[in-house]
Amino acid sequence: MEINPLEYLLNPNKRIFWIFLLSSLLIALTYLWLNPREKRINFSKKLWLHPSAILDYGYFVFMAFFKVLVIFPILFGAKEVALWVNAALLGEYGYTRLEGFSYAQIMFIFTLSLFIVSDFTRYWLHRFLHTMPMLWEFHKVHHSAKVLNPLTFYRVHPVESLLFGLRYSLSIGLVSGVFIFFFGAMIDIYDILGVNILAFMFSLIGSNLRHSHIRLGFGEKFEKFLISPYQHQIHHSKHHTDTNFGGFLAIWDWIFGTLTLSKGVGRLKLGINSDDMKNFGNFQNLVFFPFFAIYQSFKKHFF
Amino acid sequence: MKKIIVVLTLFVSFAASAVNQAFFDGVIIANTNQAIGSATNITNSITKSDQQAAKANFANLVRDWKKVETTYLLGDLNEDYLDTPRYVDIFHGNNEDIKSQLDLIIESDDDLTYALYKHSHKTINALEYVLFTKDITNPRVKAIALIISKSIASYLTEILDGYHTHQAKFLKSEQFASAVLLNTLVAGTYKLKEWRIGDVVGLSKKYKGKADNRRAEYVLSGNSINAIKAILQTHQQVINSKNYKDFGDIAREYKANAEIDTAISHLNKSISNAKDMVDSDLDSAKGVALFNATSQLMTSYYIALMDRLGFVSKVLDADGD
Repeated sequence: MEINPLEYLLNPNKRIFWIFLLSSLLIALTYLWLNPREKRINFSKKLWLHPSAILDYGYFVFMAFFKVLVIFPILFGAKEVALWVNAALLGEYGYTRLEGFSYAQIMFIFTLSLFIVSDFTRYWLHRFLHTMPMLWEFHKVHHSAKVLNPLTFYRVHPVESLLFGLRYSLSIGLVSGVFIFFFGAMIDIYDILGVNILAFMFSLIGSNLRHSHIRLGFGEKFEKFLISPYQHQIHHSKHHTDTNFGGFLAIWDWIFGTLTLSKGVGRLKLGINSDDMKNFGNFQNLVFFPFFAIYQSFKKHFF
Repeated sequence: MKKIIVVLTLFVSFAASAVNQAFFDGVIIANTNQAIGSATNITNSITKSDQQAAKANFANLVRDWKKVETTYLLGDLNEDYLDTPRYVDIFHGNNEDIKSQLDLIIESDDDLTYALYKHSHKTINALEYVLFTKDITNPRVKAIALIISKSIASYLTEILDGYHTHQAKFLKSEQFASAVLLNTLVAGTYKLKEWRIGDVVGLSKKYKGKADNRRAEYVLSGNSINAIKAILQTHQQVINSKNYKDFGDIAREYKANAEIDTAISHLNKSISNAKDMVDSDLDSAKGVALFNATSQLMTSYYIALMDRLGFVSKVLDADGD
């Protein structure tokens, strides 16, 4: 298996694919042109060379290798799940084909279903990472970033990475297995450069600004449907980590009562509480401290 | 990742390179023509009241019809043709007892044009019942057998005409053609292992542990294994033929040797298992082995289908936020 961190820039399936970075840059420049007072912080060396940012850069390279060498080999894939789901449905209901849908209609429904189910499971896993104490210990790694940059997206503990991989396999595999059962090979998705067209479109509108200091909101009405970059930055602030769990869509936060709109939210203090912050200041701690914290908590409760 | 891209490319390219006119003419059209020929031969034998020849020709008709049925994709090209195979064959498609209905028709003196008003009365299953349990020297039985054989020939001709009319739709879209063909193979393999073998050998969900040779597709004429062999031969025409560029050839061009070899290996194993079998072997260990081999063949088609979707390459980073 090939390991090359630069591949992240060239692979349309990656958050930091160059087109997504470029679109985010263009949006950011437009935003700064309209809000010149924010240029200072966004162009400052202090931001891009902050110890937290430097840690993000190094950790990104480490995780690129670690994922390929350790996480991917132990993950079961969406294909295996889809095979299992299809086999289970075949065994239970026998061979079934839904007629009356055109190829284009099936592609549209499949594309939409994959996107919605994937975003929905992403919301819930993210929420569980905050609400379940043991998972929160791992997710603190991500929230310990003092400043945000596009690579903060990859500042994720390997255990969290594994959980998101499992989420992906289960949700995509489930949807695909059901569609294969009903439509067989007559399914495909509408894509751009091999990426679900909906995910691609939403990634174009500033996905890399979620982890940045560009305070771009989408307005009160739109932010009930789509998570804006600023809404995600709000999620990274110490006082709002229990809101805005959504990936692309905000409707899950809206429906389940965890939505915070940009309007009215003032200055953000990023990170987690000060006592915890000091535990994530270097590379080794990002990887090992969560295990230590869980062990300590376990010892406190049971011994 | 590389493997998935290779297989994805393989399936897309399969449509571009293999599902071309040579494939269409060599498999789809040629098999339909052959079945029309068999239906004509059986009509001639019945006309001559030659029951032995008619029975022999019935075996050929079963063989050739199964080939048409195995790659039947006309319904996907034009939905007006979705039900056409059910006018020829009601195996697992109709719960009515046509035998008692045909007995009543034979015993009555009603005008046959009206008496044989149901599609099911004019299917290959009805023809089997008439040829293998009745005497076609009886004028009324002969007349019924002729109506049935001509009806089958007529539907086969309709299928042929349909393919000629709608072939452009199949040939113009690579994505659509590969999907339709793969679906046909998957559907055919499921019905083969579950209905034609599993129900008999007692391994299907419906008849688990209750083997019964009387559930075989052509139990009256003893052509059930003949049908199974024809189905497997047709799969060979699609994925492992020497006469034209087929699925296997394209797979090798794209270095997906392992994937296609697995499917071909399961197919060959199925063919080898069926080779020396007769209908009475279906509820024995030979039937179990055939069931297992065709199950593996079906799984290998489903794996190919999953690869066609290219799971890994179509979703953004699976990391969190």
